[in-house]
Amino acid sequence: MLRLGRGETFHGEGILAITKGLLQSGVAYVGGYQGAPVSHLLDVMVQGKTYMDELGVHVEACSNEASAAAMLGASIHYPLRGAVTWKSIVGTNVAADALSNLSSPGVTGGVLIVVGEDYGEGASVIQERTHAYALKSSMCLLDPRPDLGVMVRMVEEGFRLSETSNMPCLMELRIRTCHVRGSFECKDNIAPAVSTRALMTEPAGFDYMRLAHPPVTFRHEKLKGDARIPAARRYIVEHGLNELMPGKRHADLGIVVQGGLYNALIRSLQQQGLADAFGETDIPILVLNVTYPLVPEQVADFCIGKRAVLVVEEGQPEYIEQDIATLLRRRDIQTPLHGKDMLPAAGEYGVEVLSGGIGAFAAKYIGADAALSSAQAWLAGNRERREAVARQLTAPLPNRPPSFCIGCPERPVFSALKLAQQETGPVHIAADIGCHAFGTFEPFSMGHSILGYGMSLASRAGVAPMMNRRTLSIMGDGGFWHNGLLTGVQSALFNDDDAVLLIFKNGYTSATGTQDIISTPDDEVKERAVDKQQSLVDKNQTIEATLTGLGVKWMRTVTTYDVERMRKTLTEALTSDFNGLKVVIAEGECQLERQRRIKPWIAGLLKKGERVVRVKYGVDEDVCNGDHACIRLSGCPTLTLKDNPDPLKVDPVATVIDGCVGCGLCGANAHAATLCPSFYRAEVVQNPKWHERIVHSLRGAVVRALQPA
Amino acid sequence: MEQNRPITLLVCALGGEGGGVLTEWLVDIARHAGYAAQSTSIPGVAQRTGATTYYIEVFPVPLTQLAGRRPVFSLSPVPGALDAIVSSELLETARQIGNGMSAPLRTLVISSSGRIFTTAERMEPGDGRADAQRLVDVVKAFSREHHVFDMNAIARDTGTVVSAVMLGAIAGSGLFPFPREAYEHVVRGGDTSAPEKLGKMAAASLRGFAAAFDAVSAPRTQAAFVNSVMAGDTADAPPPARALPDELARRFPPAVHDMLALGHARVLDYQDAAYAAQYADRLGKLLDAERAADPAGAHGFAITREAARWLALWMAFDDIVRVAALKGRASRAQRVRQEVRATDEDIVKLYDHFKPGAAEFAALLPPALSRRVTAWDRGRQARGREPWALPLKVGSHSVLGMASLRLLSSLKWLRRRGSRFAEEQALIERWLAAVEAGTRESWALGHELALCGRLIKGYGSTNERGKHNLLHVIDALAANPALPAPARAEAIAAAREAALADEGGKALDAALVRHGAAPRPVVAQPIRWMKRPPSKAA
Repeated sequence: MLRLGRGETFHGEGILAITKGLLQSGVAYVGGYQGAPVSHLLDVMVQGKTYMDELGVHVEACSNEASAAAMLGASIHYPLRGAVTWKSIVGTNVAADALSNLSSPGVTGGVLIVVGEDYGEGASVIQERTHAYALKSSMCLLDPRPDLGVMVRMVEEGFRLSETSNMPCLMELRIRTCHVRGSFECKDNIAPAVSTRALMTEPAGFDYMRLAHPPVTFRHEKLKGDARIPAARRYIVEHGLNELMPGKRHADLGIVVQGGLYNALIRSLQQQGLADAFGETDIPILVLNVTYPLVPEQVADFCIGKRAVLVVEEGQPEYIEQDIATLLRRRDIQTPLHGKDMLPAAGEYGVEVLSGGIGAFAAKYIGADAALSSAQAWLAGNRERREAVARQLTAPLPNRPPSFCIGCPERPVFSALKLAQQETGPVHIAADIGCHAFGTFEPFSMGHSILGYGMSLASRAGVAPMMNRRTLSIMGDGGFWHNGLLTGVQSALFNDDDAVLLIFKNGYTSATGTQDIISTPDDEVKERAVDKQQSLVDKNQTIEATLTGLGVKWMRTVTTYDVERMRKTLTEALTSDFNGLKVVIAEGECQLERQRRIKPWIAGLLKKGERVVRVKYGVDEDVCNGDHACIRLSGCPTLTLKDNPDPLKVDPVATVIDGCVGCGLCGANAHAATLCPSFYRAEVVQNPKWHERIVHSLRGAVVRALQPA
Repeated sequence: MEQNRPITLLVCALGGEGGGVLTEWLVDIARHAGYAAQSTSIPGVAQRTGATTYYIEVFPVPLTQLAGRRPVFSLSPVPGALDAIVSSELLETARQIGNGMSAPLRTLVISSSGRIFTTAERMEPGDGRADAQRLVDVVKAFSREHHVFDMNAIARDTGTVVSAVMLGAIAGSGLFPFPREAYEHVVRGGDTSAPEKLGKMAAASLRGFAAAFDAVSAPRTQAAFVNSVMAGDTADAPPPARALPDELARRFPPAVHDMLALGHARVLDYQDAAYAAQYADRLGKLLDAERAADPAGAHGFAITREAARWLALWMAFDDIVRVAALKGRASRAQRVRQEVRATDEDIVKLYDHFKPGAAEFAALLPPALSRRVTAWDRGRQARGREPWALPLKVGSHSVLGMASLRLLSSLKWLRRRGSRFAEEQALIERWLAAVEAGTRESWALGHELALCGRLIKGYGSTNERGKHNLLHVIDALAANPALPAPARAEAIAAAREAALADEGGKALDAALVRHGAAPRPVVAQPIRWMKRPPSKAA
């Protein structure tokens, strides 16, 4: 799809359209760190390596956002267009140092930083605005209207804006914008002039102005205000980056909106009878596809002579509204300004939330009419219905947070940790970002704090010295390489800390979409493996070698599904006489990745009529005691409940439904925790060999003779 | 359908159910049919079996008639402004309705009746499942039109995934102005060959699509289809009630006959005729007490009836002999073959996980010997070692494995002489005495105490915990002279519910305290102490 050319139409998701836009802009290098909702951008580029080589575009899967941001340094000296991507706010936080040092000297080649604004419904991080970074480092901030054509155009304009102003450009894309399905008319991709195919022969000459180092940093700061921001403003106006939608009926009112919120605003106006389905609006709208810097003249022109203007700006603080208020005050423009006084300070601006604010604005300046009261009735109806449903349900519905996949190698570790704490007493658990954070949900409910990706070991440094019992830090291999090795391990070793670190070595950064990392088993190893079902992460020893090299003295590697051994190892780590850093490596390959390998392999074997052994666990319904202790130790989606078939008993029994991948946790838990003896392990042999059949039928005859009905 | 606004559809699914594919299909169908459409989703980490939603808008007028104008679609669903909600899980349907999504004058709700229980529902020691009828009632009350049928069963039966079934339901509802062929074309993946030449996956998807299409477009066929799906699944049907011996039928009122028959048969099967006779005698005493408290039988002999249930289960307490007997049956081997979906050609190897500890063996030994074994195990633990246990993986498909199971299940005679048997009988008598005394004092009190038999279940620590809780309820609440009988009955009911709510017993202790009783005494729990001395000034 990335190869589409002029005259062809692209159909697909927003984030893929952005990727296409990068290629249409002649981008020379792309980097980033994965994370919803922008993972796809980098994933398709990595997968499309052949085509990228053809164009001469370099793609780098960076080890974290800081390294991605630092990569942009290439555009300081050289006329190279570069783009990087990550999940914001967290990724921008990590990248902040490099971004400051990039923004100060400014760029020659255009720079576009595509950030997934992980805000509102579906978000998985703290709720903060990327806007603050644009302000403090003087970077342009694009927030395009969620129409694929506009989004792609803003990518192209973003590079030119960056080159014209020497400022890096951020482009924020909300979750639904990344996943919106639409279409746009393509242009041809442009192979960059300087590329991996057309190399530069000489480095740039020495130029102190390009360094982020005093004394030139003082000059840089002046340049931002004196030259760069004015240049950006000129470009924004001259090329019409912001869009003015004229209003038919109420030209004396106005709404200023962030581009990304435009569709929600139009639907909200539609609900109030102030717009039609095609976006024809009664109230003029200034759509800010660039939310920083604002163009004072443009905003002032929009506001002058209006009875009132409403600023629709998501999140807090309300930077845009404050900016507009200041510029109106300075110019002594008396147009009343509304925003967060009518709209809520926190939370996503969906259509219903917006309608509350628009309704208040319209009521004040337009007055009551039929359409407005119909909208009020709709909003009141929603409120009443919610209350009515709550009354009818009597109790709140249980939540359904994400959880470990079926057969996930991380679940058994939490089973073991639950059991270990029965021996050691409860311990302080410093949790981290990653799939293992699902351990904070039921049935495990473990973890005292999350301080950021790879930060768990560092975050216990103040707790551990104050506590009688040892603390435990949990980290994934993704977090370990992203940050944890340096902020956690190095610091603990340097300070001779008494600490316990549990590393989930599943081989991928799985929560972000199972991308490969440096400790991922090689493709060649996967190719060679005779039994494709086995976990292969033990074939890559990078983590172990690194820790040994750094000077870790106490390290144990345990297969995660061996709950008993894991329990003993954790207990040992928490009670051992060794007072330095103790590392437990929980080894088990990401089940998603394993299944991707196993399913086609099994299908192939069955097709050829070859012997296949399928494992499934089950529960004997007449032996199960209906206490569900097994579920409290597992939470696997396939270990669930069914009505008790015994008419004397009332509590539902546990049952294993289709989908069980036979990971073995049920059996391991039954042993490690002395659960009830109702679990069985069934090995179904498909296409058995002839001698197997003979043995089986002989054996079956004897067994049947022994069995009562 | 109004022509000046988009048709709006909210799809609720769980991560991994193919909701992304479904929306892709819908957008493609709209495009090929010449309509403007847009979909959005919020996958994030909900891909891992969490609840998630997808949202689709289609403009009802073909693009060719819009004179170049393009509709502006909303990226998120608007509560109260949806034309349809389609959901693969009943509780998620109710959740979205609870969020205000469905408008009773506008919204068509198509939901699976299937439940995929949340972890919170599954982990309760008792029955934490949400009331499905209540959820269906919400769907009915807050929708313009509704179709509730088991999408997961259709998917299973036709060998496809639930997304194809949902697409069939959407097509069958006539929500969008697309012909059926347009949907089928995209399910085929553009493959126009005859049905028998299609790939296996596409063929299965088409079957699932068709079944759901019919279910929604013709509700009568739906009922017939669902019945046929259900008919194949008879494994869960209750066994026919056993005949009750005449002598017992005469002794007990008809209201308790069914439960008594089941209970009597259970105890007889568990041990022998004498033990079954003891069961009837014990129950007889309660019947006498209940007759005294409620001579007219106004309560339908509910105390005796409930006691018949719980007494049978307690008398037939689970031990290794019982488990071996249950696991050694031929019917069990057959059931497992069905559960793991093995065909006749497949070989099934069956392994059972056992981990009997010292207590399980001591249970079968006479009291004196049993005490020595228990003392030895306690000594082990006092020395900081773990309790002794024997983890076993018995291959019950093998001759040796089955022979061991049969040998173990033949030890019924040993059970009767064992220490556990005596202990259980003593505790049963304590409970029965409390029920009897309570009944004589007030019928309601006796009834609540009889229902407390539910607290006793399972093996090992679960069983211990249940007994501990029951005894505490009897001692602290049943005979508490400070409270009048109705208040005690109420307190016991609250304590019982609380005891089934969480494993640690926090809810139980809170309920006890609320009703003026002492919380349960804290049981000593040995832990491995890690001495991390505070730092000293150098």
